[in-house]
Amino acid sequence: MPGLSRRKVLIGAGAIAAAAAATPILSACQPTPKTGGSGKVVVMTDPNEFNDDDRKTLESATKLKIEVVKSDLTTLYAMWAAGNSPDIFRVQAAGVPQYISRKMVKDLQPYFANSKLLKIDDLAPANNFYKWDGKQVGKGDLYGMVKDWSPDFTLYAYTKAFDEASVKIPSDTTPLTYDELRDLARKVNKKSAGKRVYWGFVHSNNDQWIDRTAMNMLAEKNQSLYTDDFSKLVIAANPESNKVIRYLYDLAADGVNQTPIDPSPNWMGADFNEGQIAILQYGYWFSAMAESDKTKGKTVFLPAPTWSGVRRDPTMTATGWVISSQTKDADAAWSVFEQYMGGKPAQDRAKSGWGVPGLKSLYSQMPQQSDFQKQVQRVLQGELPKSDFILQFNPYIGEETFATSWKKNLEPALKGSISFDKFVQNIEAEVNTAIADGKRIIGG
Amino acid sequence: MAGATQVLPRTMPRPAAWRRRGVRRAVTFYLLISPWLLGFVVLSAVPLVGAFLMSFTNYDGLNLDYVRFVGTDNYLRALGDSDAQYALGRTLLLMAVVVPVGLVLQLVLALMVNQPIRFSNVFRTIFYLPYVVPVVAGVWIWKIFVDPTGGLLNALLGVVLPDVNVRWLVEYPTAVLAVLTIWGAAGGGMVVFLAGLQGIPAEYREAAMIDGASRAQVTRYITLPLLTPVIFFNLVTGIIVALQILVQPMLLSPGILGLSPGTVPPRDNYLYVVHAYIEIFTKQLFGYGSALLWVLFAVVLGLTVLLFKTSRRWVFYGVEP
Repeated sequence: MPGLSRRKVLIGAGAIAAAAAATPILSACQPTPKTGGSGKVVVMTDPNEFNDDDRKTLESATKLKIEVVKSDLTTLYAMWAAGNSPDIFRVQAAGVPQYISRKMVKDLQPYFANSKLLKIDDLAPANNFYKWDGKQVGKGDLYGMVKDWSPDFTLYAYTKAFDEASVKIPSDTTPLTYDELRDLARKVNKKSAGKRVYWGFVHSNNDQWIDRTAMNMLAEKNQSLYTDDFSKLVIAANPESNKVIRYLYDLAADGVNQTPIDPSPNWMGADFNEGQIAILQYGYWFSAMAESDKTKGKTVFLPAPTWSGVRRDPTMTATGWVISSQTKDADAAWSVFEQYMGGKPAQDRAKSGWGVPGLKSLYSQMPQQSDFQKQVQRVLQGELPKSDFILQFNPYIGEETFATSWKKNLEPALKGSISFDKFVQNIEAEVNTAIADGKRIIGG
Repeated sequence: MAGATQVLPRTMPRPAAWRRRGVRRAVTFYLLISPWLLGFVVLSAVPLVGAFLMSFTNYDGLNLDYVRFVGTDNYLRALGDSDAQYALGRTLLLMAVVVPVGLVLQLVLALMVNQPIRFSNVFRTIFYLPYVVPVVAGVWIWKIFVDPTGGLLNALLGVVLPDVNVRWLVEYPTAVLAVLTIWGAAGGGMVVFLAGLQGIPAEYREAAMIDGASRAQVTRYITLPLLTPVIFFNLVTGIIVALQILVQPMLLSPGILGLSPGTVPPRDNYLYVVHAYIEIFTKQLFGYGSALLWVLFAVVLGLTVLLFKTSRRWVFYGVEP
């Protein structure tokens, strides 16, 4: 190898490194080729919602091979950045506007229009969360579908906690107001020798969905946390927003809720099953697991509370599927999507009771065998007419932005390091910075 | 000249042979290191270059159609980010505790297991064990240990103080994080110290003792000076690791989300890389998050250079480094 020197080898290695570094950047500038027809569809979803039997059923129905990737935002971002997005991915309603705004998901309106399995007039109202016209959730074309859904503001009461506190269990026909709920929570909240016995009222998925709760409460007064164009979060300057945020903050300050200064090592569903939560705000889906050894026969399903008398009980998650705009074979992805949403897996899900079906024609298949299931169905039937409402989500920020800022500032506020006003100011500043970043990126 | 012309035919081929041998050695060298080199280029150099380029853009991790060059905006923002400053302060504080305490503990453990005692290998294994326990498992061990209701620590405390119920992860989150970090790193550092101790010729100590030096004097004047290269190595790597802690504070956070968007550690454990993680994966500011990490790289580099400069005064090498 005459002429080969260390310098040349190093130069060569450097050139290879530079080429390797430049390749993804350069390739990102090229339009993605439509190769299509590989016969494989990659689905990113929660394995608990898509088991091996579902995969085999869908493979048999579609004659396609299905590869399942565990649902994870970080993985999705990485796959997306590499131009290798899953064909179908699981989302929640809060993420839909930003995915549509960023042109990451495919418009499925033409597919729905031609589908024999998923008829537009058979779609449950929760599917409207997959519509976004650039300004409002619920308007425009359909970009996805719920796998199932629940009116999510309903309550579960653990009757033992009420009995011990000598407090009457609320009626399952007359909804509580949020103020009544706070009073009740304080009464049934219990600690003994510094240790937690019952949390009075746990809500918003341990603050993970705190903005969704606030938005639903505010919507009763036709108000929002954001300006009409979503360009700004306004709490301090909007008395109604301020009142709702103060209410949610006070629940934390009362010590009835799980908070950063009184956390639980578990998730709230497990705590309810352990008989450690007196009132839990979760949707219909939780009825499938609400009765544990400890809570069986001691659990009552209650209607959603109201903030100002105009009761709303929409889903706040609308968990479902969308098809990636990067898919190389949209037709194949649709056939898997269509079968999962309208075929045998959808019927199995309806019968399991893990959510209200995404198709109205499957409503009758929800379980009604046990006394608890019958009581749940009775309350649910009263909630369904209140579930047509659509929650609005900000398209410029990620699903977790508000909740992250809330959680970050709640701890110093509860410890007294910052005042409530400063708490609000910090959230406004952080979320508005994130909105401004989002607006700069996607325009608008 | 005649003599010279007679010599030339014998000596002329030598440089060519040497060259060929040199080339062969170079090729062999690069072939042997190529697996590492390839790994480094693909898994480290390329992402580093990518992250550096990204730090000058508004990339949000999602759609490349919207990527724009923003110049030094992200770096200017990082310098004015009060959360980043707070997080850096907490990180430096943690480092200031974890690194020296960790070093002392590692050295003490190494000195202990270096003694010619029975079952020393068993002790070495026990002390080394936390180092090989996956970080997730290690965090859960500690989470269970300090749990306010069923944890062993409060149960032990309850023997002396029956009415006390300390919520360790709420009231003393940084102390728990520091202990967890020191515990997790102790075994690795101990092994390096042990190797250093065993590399010190026994004759030095024996000669000193014959001259009347006490054990403490041998340690102070023989062992420690000869261990300074190892101390220096553990110090530098300890600082680098302490400044990059992410997983432990996230997993020690309330709830079950762990290392995922939405997790917010207690404010006391809001470390610098945690902040960068939240900016990248929660707020989807990949460009800004990359800039934050490059700022951290500059801090790490600065500290390392400073340490190297001071090392001339207190690190004693047997041979020139």
